[in-house]
Amino acid sequence: MFAGDQNGLQGDPRLKAISEAIRVVPHFPKPGIMFQDITTLLLDHKAFKDTVDIFVDRYRDMGISVVAGVEARGFMFGPSIALAIGAKFVPLRKPRKLPGEVISEAYVLEYGTDCLEMHVGAVQPGERALVIDDLVATGGTLSAAIRLLERVGAQVVECACVVGLREVKGQHGLNGKPLYILVEPRQQINGSAPSVNGIGVVNGIETCRHDDLILGGNFSSPVNTTPKSD
Amino acid sequence: MQRALIFSSSNPIYSQLSTTIAPPDSAVFPKRDGGWIGPFSSNQPPVFRLRNYKRTLLPPLCSASDSVANQPTMASQDEQDPRISKISSAIRVIPNFPKPGIMFQDITTLLLDTKAFRDTIDLFVERYRGKDISVVAGIEARGFIFGPPIALAIGAKFVPMRKPNKLPGEVISEEYSLEYGTDKMEMHVGAVQAGERALVIDDLIATGGTLCAAIRLLERVGVHVVECACVIELPELKGRDRLGDKPLFVLVSST
Repeated sequence: MFAGDQNGLQGDPRLKAISEAIRVVPHFPKPGIMFQDITTLLLDHKAFKDTVDIFVDRYRDMGISVVAGVEARGFMFGPSIALAIGAKFVPLRKPRKLPGEVISEAYVLEYGTDCLEMHVGAVQPGERALVIDDLVATGGTLSAAIRLLERVGAQVVECACVVGLREVKGQHGLNGKPLYILVEPRQQINGSAPSVNGIGVVNGIETCRHDDLILGGNFSSPVNTTPKSD
Repeated sequence: MQRALIFSSSNPIYSQLSTTIAPPDSAVFPKRDGGWIGPFSSNQPPVFRLRNYKRTLLPPLCSASDSVANQPTMASQDEQDPRISKISSAIRVIPNFPKPGIMFQDITTLLLDTKAFRDTIDLFVERYRGKDISVVAGIEARGFIFGPPIALAIGAKFVPMRKPNKLPGEVISEEYSLEYGTDKMEMHVGAVQAGERALVIDDLIATGGTLCAAIRLLERVGVHVVECACVIELPELKGRDRLGDKPLFVLVSST
């Protein structure tokens, strides 16, 4: 669901400012991809703070004890949310980054697979968890994150992303878990976002998590991937 | 051995950043061969050790039984912030990672301790708030965990310093040495402006190679790097020396 659909956040000017603070870099990491660059959001203190505040307001009273952030851009948002809601922060990392004992979850790319890891013992059975990343494309990485947490008996309450399309396409579908997104990807390089309030679907846009499947907009495109990096 | 640094909350932050603190004449510090050395020359309060910890690579700076003798006597420098010991003990040491002989300082256990993580951020924020710092640069990837909460709390922007080919758009690069070979660090063009005051944040300083690369990137675009801040320092690797005239602030020192 989109933040702008929610009671109280419809027409919230913070969402417009957040959307406009995100830079679109065309043809990165490869031709045809309109990369949604959140680093410019991090340069705008007010917009960055508002981003965190909107998530915190939503999750503060949900009894969440774990915020799991996906490497590496999930690390930029997750800890601030965790600190504000009194939850622990658990990094979900690429293979061989975490020292000590880990569990791994593989997920499918166009060619081959990649892996997400979590520390054994970081999360206890019965804990309520939030998964956070900067952007959701097809949901492959988020689905792997959900599986990791569920394997150790945690309950994933929701996945939260700053940017994402209204419909998560692709075969993953987040295992039925709810997805909360602040803004849609922008097609324009400059100027205002066409669908901050969530009306309509951005046509012809391809957005990329940079390591996951490319998500098509209103057209069907072959599933395509870039080498795993973030 | 994990040692907690003495963090004196009575010491004004501004003076810590801009002047050299002379420890009292009565303060003495151990050195490797068992003798004593004079006061520190850097802007860093003295340290004392906390608990036993076996290090496989280098001999200990001093034995645990010296701990009482290490404590400085001057009041303004021997108050240890009570938060430090919990932070220190929340850090897990993993032997032989990523390779034999390395005792890896794992901060992920600190992130699981909500109070200790909160305190870690608070200690940095208390030091840097109100000091006209407009940029917090965090080094990939663990610098991304500590940097943004600090940036948000002090009203600064957060700038990620990344491995090659991760940042989209135009970047500047700085090469730095590894034990074998080199690596590169990148920063976005236009992220920072000349004249801005910056902090560089990472979880740990070892040799100081990555921090130096980050400093060079920022200085190349005319930014003034006020200080480097890390949760942990490995003092035997002499990263502090490698930073030269750039001050370093750490919470925990580990030998």
